[in-house]
Amino acid sequence: MSAYNLPIDRIIFGDNQFFGINHMSQDKAQERAERFAKLENVMAVYDHAIDAGIDAIMLNSNDRARGICDAFRANPAKYGHLKWYPSIPYPHKYAAMVNDKGMVGAVQEILFAKGAKSALGKMARGASAVLTLDPFKLMKMLIDEEMAIYDGLDTRVVFLQNIIVDLMLGYDVPDPFVAYCEYIRERYDAWPGLITQNLPFLRAKLEEWGIEGVVICASINKIGYLMSPGVAEYEALLATNDGSKYPVMAMSTLASGAVPAPEAYDYINRLNIQSVVFGASSPGNIQQTVSLIEPAAKEAAE
Amino acid sequence: MTTPLKLGIIGAGRMGITHFSIANALDGVSVASVADPSKLITTMLGKYAKVGTYKDYKGLLKGEELDGVLVCTPPAFNPEILDAVLERRLHVFCEKPFVLNAADGARFASAYDQAGLVNQVGYVNRWNDMFTHTRQLVEDGLIGAPLRFRSEMFSPTIIRDVGDAGWRASHANGGGAVFEMASHAIDLIAYFFGAPDRVGGTSLSKVYSKQVEDIVSTSLFYDSGLAGTMYVNWSDASFRKPTNKFEVFGSEGKLQVDQHGAKIHLKEANEKHGLKEGWNQLYITDVHSSVPFYVRGIEYTAQLADFVASIREGKPVRCTFADAAANLRVIEQLFADDAAIRRAGAAA
Repeated sequence: MSAYNLPIDRIIFGDNQFFGINHMSQDKAQERAERFAKLENVMAVYDHAIDAGIDAIMLNSNDRARGICDAFRANPAKYGHLKWYPSIPYPHKYAAMVNDKGMVGAVQEILFAKGAKSALGKMARGASAVLTLDPFKLMKMLIDEEMAIYDGLDTRVVFLQNIIVDLMLGYDVPDPFVAYCEYIRERYDAWPGLITQNLPFLRAKLEEWGIEGVVICASINKIGYLMSPGVAEYEALLATNDGSKYPVMAMSTLASGAVPAPEAYDYINRLNIQSVVFGASSPGNIQQTVSLIEPAAKEAAE
Repeated sequence: MTTPLKLGIIGAGRMGITHFSIANALDGVSVASVADPSKLITTMLGKYAKVGTYKDYKGLLKGEELDGVLVCTPPAFNPEILDAVLERRLHVFCEKPFVLNAADGARFASAYDQAGLVNQVGYVNRWNDMFTHTRQLVEDGLIGAPLRFRSEMFSPTIIRDVGDAGWRASHANGGGAVFEMASHAIDLIAYFFGAPDRVGGTSLSKVYSKQVEDIVSTSLFYDSGLAGTMYVNWSDASFRKPTNKFEVFGSEGKLQVDQHGAKIHLKEANEKHGLKEGWNQLYITDVHSSVPFYVRGIEYTAQLADFVASIREGKPVRCTFADAAANLRVIEQLFADDAAIRRAGAAA
């Protein structure tokens, strides 16, 4: 059975506690950066999460991800059962490239990064390569490059980061969404996933474009933080959403810490949401969160 | 139902493609055309987004009936673009720093005002909920009379030698930490207090760049007695994202704010705002507004929605060409002050 026919996990352990920007305190953010600069400290937190019963992990393809995945791959007896929910790409990498080289320069840099003999390099050869570029072929190669980090892990969903999803969404063009979703299913045998801050808008467009079988990950919290256009529209959408066609995964459930966990998950538990991704670093907070999230009323896909 | 507002985008770099996405998703707005010298960009946009594409602004202005344009080109190109747009009598949203000298800025400010055209500049911090909220608190007298301020901005934009190739590498093109970064820190000062009257003790330093400064520091003075300092560094790898920090000390309290939160210390509790004596903490989650569509940050949508509302309903413009021209006057003072101090140092 393909992974994209399997239900997605109810509770996913995220990575924001390691790498996210702490909006609440710069001192805390610095403390955390120092602590998690050491891989063993990161792995210790994962071990706490696994002890708390979690067996699904969301990890962005940032500059630390390869080292973390290596550590998981190195111990299949302990970690082989874990299910993976990678998110790609690492946006800061590309932002820095665009800063340095401009946009066309950044594309060229990506194409030639692996040398002229690589697949990308071959594509880029010839004077007009960048002009005649097939953007979807390039997209697929970039996906493969990011996904190499997760090689050999049991991948269930491959999420595209919201900075890309929401930027593309505004252009109102189905092609890149169709191409992404098809490629993830074919090449990775996984659910395509889209992260967004515009859940109602995105789902309406996916329906309009006839794209189904997509996991949508969105900020969902009772105060409406990072929820465009607003809480009421999210609640109305979730009330009628078909979780087998568009399983919804909630992120930012605590709204950067503005909502206490019991209140936050009491809200989430009442909504038609298939999955929750959360990040925490202390064993107590991890256990508390796991105990607060109730099983889904219905599984995403039978 | 009113007919959609038709916008053209001149310059499809990072800001141009962001504004395209946001504007196109707003109700009652359609992006009709894009001008950019990059064939890669215009080919993609023409093929997939199905908009008119042009290699430069001249073609765009000739080719389409538009209501307004978003000018997102490197600022050295903007004077000739803004002249041509004025001739076509179009409303304009222009990316900061708008143009590169105060005289051009003042000329366009008065020309567009006289023509009755909406003119707005993309100093996006004026739409950040934390800054708008705390500015209102200061205006309401929460911390008494402002006496001192500190405006800082940090980013990891230039953290190695990237050569002299890009437009960022020279002042003539609008590159350097003053035009690109300090302009934001100056605009925050101006947003809270209006433009300062003079500057002093300016120091512009290089870390990696050859032709332009990477670090900016200065003091700024008002005839009223209000004064403050500014420190801007775009070569600071300890920050992952551009971050503004702003602090105001007043006769009744102190306020420290960045894009995500604020700390307020008060001599006395303030009932109206629900703030207590001593320290108070506000988070962006306490004051956030919502926008119809989100890309990169609430403030990017809010500023474009305001531009549209200004065209449609005559909503007052929060950051006009005149505001941006005033920032350019401060920028010219910084360059002049730094040069004078260097000359004095060399003579001594």
